[in-house]
This record gives sequence, C-alpha cells and structure tokens, in this order.
Amino acid sequence: MATIASKKPVWVTLGVALLLHTMLISLQTSRRFDTSFFRGWILDSLSPLEKLVDRTFHGTGSILDRYLALIGVHDENARLRAEVDDLKMQLAMQKEEILEADRLRKFVGLEDSRLGKPVVARVIGRDPTQSHQSVTIDKGRAHGIRPDAAVITPEGIVGRVIYAGNYSSIVQLIVDSQSGVGILVLPNRRMGIIKGSGSAELDLDYIDDDSELKEGDLMITSGDDRIYPKGLPVGKITSVGPRRGLFKTVRIRPTADLGRLEEVLCVVEKPKTIEMNPMERPAP
Amino acid sequence: MPHFKTFQIAGKFIISMVAVVVIQGILAYRFQVVRYFDLPLLCTVYYGFTLGNPIASILMGSSLGIMQDSLSAAVLGTNGLSKTLIGFIAASAGSKFAVDQPITRIFALFLFTLADGLLVTMITQAVSPASNATYGGTLGGWLLSATFNTLLGLVLLGYHDRLNNATT
Repeated sequence: MATIASKKPVWVTLGVALLLHTMLISLQTSRRFDTSFFRGWILDSLSPLEKLVDRTFHGTGSILDRYLALIGVHDENARLRAEVDDLKMQLAMQKEEILEADRLRKFVGLEDSRLGKPVVARVIGRDPTQSHQSVTIDKGRAHGIRPDAAVITPEGIVGRVIYAGNYSSIVQLIVDSQSGVGILVLPNRRMGIIKGSGSAELDLDYIDDDSELKEGDLMITSGDDRIYPKGLPVGKITSVGPRRGLFKTVRIRPTADLGRLEEVLCVVEKPKTIEMNPMERPAP
Repeated sequence: MPHFKTFQIAGKFIISMVAVVVIQGILAYRFQVVRYFDLPLLCTVYYGFTLGNPIASILMGSSLGIMQDSLSAAVLGTNGLSKTLIGFIAASAGSKFAVDQPITRIFALFLFTLADGLLVTMITQAVSPASNATYGGTLGGWLLSATFNTLLGLVLLGYHDRLNNATT
C-alpha cells in the first residue's frame, strides 16, 4: 500500500505528460487549434545555436578549401573564361527567344508563368528524427517565407516549407513519406503524381498511362499541386518494375542532390497560374 | 542556498538537453550516417537508468521529444509521447535490473530503439494515413539504427560512468 502511495506522483506525472502529448497531436490533426506558435517559439530559440555551430563548421571548412583551391587555379581560370564566352553567346540567343515567347504569350492572352520571387537560404540542420526527411533553413517569416513556399535548387526541386518561424523554417523534402508532387513525364508529357518513400528515392503514385515509361525519363513539375512552379526538374526514372495494383512500380531519383544541400532558393511569391483569358479565348 | 543548487542542476539539464538535440540535427546534416543514431533517445535511456527519479526521467524524455519534433517535419508530440514512455520504462527498469551491466544495456538500448521507431511510425500513420511509410520498408532502417544506437550507447554510457567514478 505504501509502495502504491509513494508511486502516485510518478503515475500522475506520466498520465499528465501522455495526455498533453496526445492532446497536442489531436489538436494538430483536427486543425482546431493552431500550434505553429509553439513550434515557431522552440524553432526560433534553437536555430541561433544551430546557425552558430553551422557557421563554425562552415568557416573551418572554407579556410581549408580556400588553400586547397589554389592548386590548379590558372588552368581552371582559362577553362572558365572559355565557358563564360560560350554562355554569353547562348544567353544572347535565348534573350531573343524570351522576347518572342513574351510577344506570343500576350498575343494568345496567357499570363506570365515564370518563377516567383526567390529568397536565397542556407541549410543549417537536418531532421533530428529518423522517421521524417526535412531540413532547417536560416530564413523565416521575417524574410517573407510562409508555409507551402516551394524550395528549389538549380538542379531541381527540394521540397516545401511546412513550418516557418521568424528567422528559420522547416522544409519537408520531396523524399519524405508524406510528400507528394504533381509531375509531367518528358517527352510524352503524361501527367502524374509521385510520392516520397522515406528513402533516397520517390515512388510513382498515379499516372495517366504508364505504358511508355522507361529508365532515364525526366519528370518535371506540372504546377497542378499549386506549390511548385511548372516546368522545374523533379527526378529521373531509375527503374520500371512489374505492375503492382493499377500502375507499374516506378522508382525515381531526385535531380537535386538532397544529401548535400547547402544553399537553396525559396519561392516566396508564387507565380500566377497559367489561365486562358475567357474574353480572348479563340473561337472553336 | 538549496534553491540555488536546484536551479543550477536544472540549468545544467536544460543546457545539455538543448545541446543534444541541436548536435543531432547538425551532425545529421553534415554526416549522413548520423541519421541512424538517436542521441536524444540515448540521453533519455541513460538518465532513466541512472537518475533514480522516474519523474525527472519522464520530464526529460518529454522535453527531448518535443524539441526533436519542433526541429522536424513530424507532428508535434509524436516523439514527445514516445520518449515520455521510454523515459518512464527506463527509470522503472533502472530500479529493477542491474543496468550497469553491458549485457543489460545492449538488450535495453536495442529494444528501446526498436520500440521508439515502432511507436513513432504507428503515431505518424494514425495521424496521417496518406503517409507512404510502411512497417516493412522501415524495418531495415530500425534494425540498423538499433545496432548503431546500441554500439554508440555502450561507448557513451561506459565513458560517462568512468567520468562519474573519477569525479566521486
């Protein structure tokens, strides 16, 4: 009897702690109560420490890198100059093509579909749990970042912001098991949806027609999910397996190297969706 | 004066808990293999074993879990719930078994890591059925994580024991 009485505070503490966590989970699931302030508060309290440690790591690494980079710098300089000349030529040609596309877009009444306003952010940490795939970036609401902002690199899409603190945010990677992206398969432009698998690759979840899919096919964003701007690279098909259920088993490797992210772009102002102006729609 | 000492001990615990979660996040970003380790879990189990105070273990597990959730894409409370239970079970086991023996620690660390993975996946699937994670798909990850955690835990707990013995 005495043992039960002496253990009473332990059971009460355990009960209260479990109840609090269950309530927290339940409130978020039912969306009856916004818990983002609580997460944002902890995120903003911990992220300065993360930034400090990251800068220390990065600073030490870059001093070493700068010394090593001096080896072979002359040859690399010459190669880069040639590359710059080549790119200048390509740029001049593409400027003409952009002007032509703008003229045609106005002519058929389409709105501008280019990328929204980007903010450069630095990755300062990774998900401290194994069950999810996310990274912490050093930009938040103070820099214009809001939940559902698309996060990209020049190689391809990275993920979307799921929680934005004042000075840091959590980005859910596209390989997270709860992530999904609307895609178009090139070259036949079949529409589909791919989902993260929790590993380094993605799975095909839905597609119009999977008969023509083959290894190496590139997938780009369709823009239908209203998160990622249209036309950005997502990944390449690495394997097409036998049919399981309605569709073939298709594995996709992201084009962006999600294991070595350093700087990313956050699209803080979404581009306008492409919609035909009904007043200017050509008669059938 | 006793109040000052209590605050000092509480302060030390808070600083070490924050450090453990932040270090886990930064090391996991720099070194891919660190994703298989769970430093907050090791911290919860160790203090559960050695503090001899179940209430402190429950609070520690709870705080570490909620901090982990805040820096993660997980639903807030997922790891908190799991680590609260683990803190309590570790404290109960600490008073019943000889947890300073390596063989007990191996079993305990392995089982606690598997239990944590299972609990977190179950809660995640319960709150977001659209999740693509499967028990079969993550089993390999759990086993690898349990092995890595057990090895690291043995080294860290052994080192901490020696440090404690040297100072007392």
